[in-house]
Amino acid sequence: MPENESELFQALSDAVVGMDEDRARELSIAAVDRNIDAYTAIERGLVDGMGRAGELFESEEYFIPELLLCSDAMYAGLDILRPHLRIEDASQRRFKVVIGVVEGDTHDIGKNLVRIMLEASGFDVIDLGRDIPAQRFVDTAVSENADVIALSTLMTTTMDAMAEVVEKLQTSNLRERFKVILGGGPISPAFAKRIHADGYANSAPNAVKLVKQLAGVPA
Amino acid sequence: MTPVQRFAAYGRGEAIDRLPCVPIVGNTAARIVGAKVSDFRGNGKLIADAQVAAYQRFGYDVIRIFTDLYTQAEAMGARVHYPDDETAYLAAPAIESVLQIASLEPANPYRDGNLPAHLEAMSRAVDAVGNEVVVTGALTGPFTTASFLIGTETLVRLMLKNPAAVHQLCELALQSAIAYAKAILDTGCTPSLTDAMCSTTVISPRQFREFGQPYLARLIEFIHGHGRSVTLHICGKTRAIWEQMCETGADCLSIDNAADLAKAKAMVGNRVRLMGNVSPSEIMLQGTPDQVRQAVRECVLKAHDNPKGLIVASGCSLPVETPFANIDAMLDAVREIGWPIHIEEGMETTACKA
Repeated sequence: MPENESELFQALSDAVVGMDEDRARELSIAAVDRNIDAYTAIERGLVDGMGRAGELFESEEYFIPELLLCSDAMYAGLDILRPHLRIEDASQRRFKVVIGVVEGDTHDIGKNLVRIMLEASGFDVIDLGRDIPAQRFVDTAVSENADVIALSTLMTTTMDAMAEVVEKLQTSNLRERFKVILGGGPISPAFAKRIHADGYANSAPNAVKLVKQLAGVPA
Repeated sequence: MTPVQRFAAYGRGEAIDRLPCVPIVGNTAARIVGAKVSDFRGNGKLIADAQVAAYQRFGYDVIRIFTDLYTQAEAMGARVHYPDDETAYLAAPAIESVLQIASLEPANPYRDGNLPAHLEAMSRAVDAVGNEVVVTGALTGPFTTASFLIGTETLVRLMLKNPAAVHQLCELALQSAIAYAKAILDTGCTPSLTDAMCSTTVISPRQFREFGQPYLARLIEFIHGHGRSVTLHICGKTRAIWEQMCETGADCLSIDNAADLAKAKAMVGNRVRLMGNVSPSEIMLQGTPDQVRQAVRECVLKAHDNPKGLIVASGCSLPVETPFANIDAMLDAVREIGWPIHIEEGMETTACKA
């Protein structure tokens, strides 16, 4: 077990990069036992590790399988550390994203990667899942007071469902309230522009950059 | 020239009238005969009628009997959702955990799921136009079928946590694929392979070598044993596995628009024919006929001199609602370019001899 706080944070980060779920859990329990600030352990340990995993993904050393196992380790640690967040850290208003795969499509790995990377970057993410009707994106964004609606699809047949979300926002006079961003195999920047979405990203790391930009957070 | 004559002459290095051209028409064929996509389910005659009509309407060089990638997985127990008039999608995998692998059996192509209907479609298409055009039957690769059997996320996690289970699933999927390939060959069709999940957009080259390539190699060896050449399509990014795709024994690589034809030519063009790669979504679905023409010219400029040849094609199956005008534009562009290859750019004229 690591001696001091910095070593423990480093070990947590390494457990995430090393896809070691058991180790992440064990170290998180140790952090709780030693009364180490949960927020700092998450930020400097788990989130740092997921960030490194994201970099390895971008440089094509890690692929989707590795990134998923890294996220399993991150979430195993988060489950233990989150209940120990101080109230002001836990209740802090964070930039909120509603994400889902549009209706008619069940391919959700890409969406899941974006959710993982957004959560690892400190955003509040409401994941609706897959095959989600347009109205549910709108309703959830309103009820959750979200900032961004993130839409995903892998199929060309369901691209129109993305346009439908934008249209529903327009007809409900809600368009200005939310940013709408798109991702997925058949989507292009030109398509995003054509349906009047606010942005497009071609990978999970780039989706994080896009949301940071929309949130006004330095990348 | 008929497509069969064109391919034969092209393969011998003789003069042809134009490069072979294959806009990969799948469920778009429903639009030719005024059917709904879901009408294809279990209806071999309608699939054949639609695919033959589409071939006759557009005049391309390969008919592919295809509705979706799930046919083999469905025949092994996966649940597929059929929207009224759109391409089907996976509703639920056949099993939820590795403990259930023992309950799976290889599919019987004459009994299970929609395989009998697809075989009927292949037979009918071969009977109708098999003397003039190659009719292929879509065959999903073992790794991809395995991903539909247990769910993609579960399968890719298992690659790292329980590789033996992944091999068991791939082996079962391979046995289904071989049985189906045999049945496809018996109709007079040529199996045409797609292994979408092997893309490096999803798994690493090392994982492809362990879980994708060996099963593809065995499947292709089986098809070669019946005297047919094999086209292998893998979606998304593939550059890092082109060499390995060649090592599967495939004769032609169909590459996605996420990959570059010129780079493919440089790396593997002396080993395999290349097929590709106009963007099915951005250009074929959403573009104008002029954009299609320009995209075709770019493909031809990049790879017409590929040592093993080029088939001008879309980078993947066309979306259902692809405008007919854009499919016509692809064929028209290839006819305009003609043979020997002749491409006019602005005032300049580039004539190249392949």
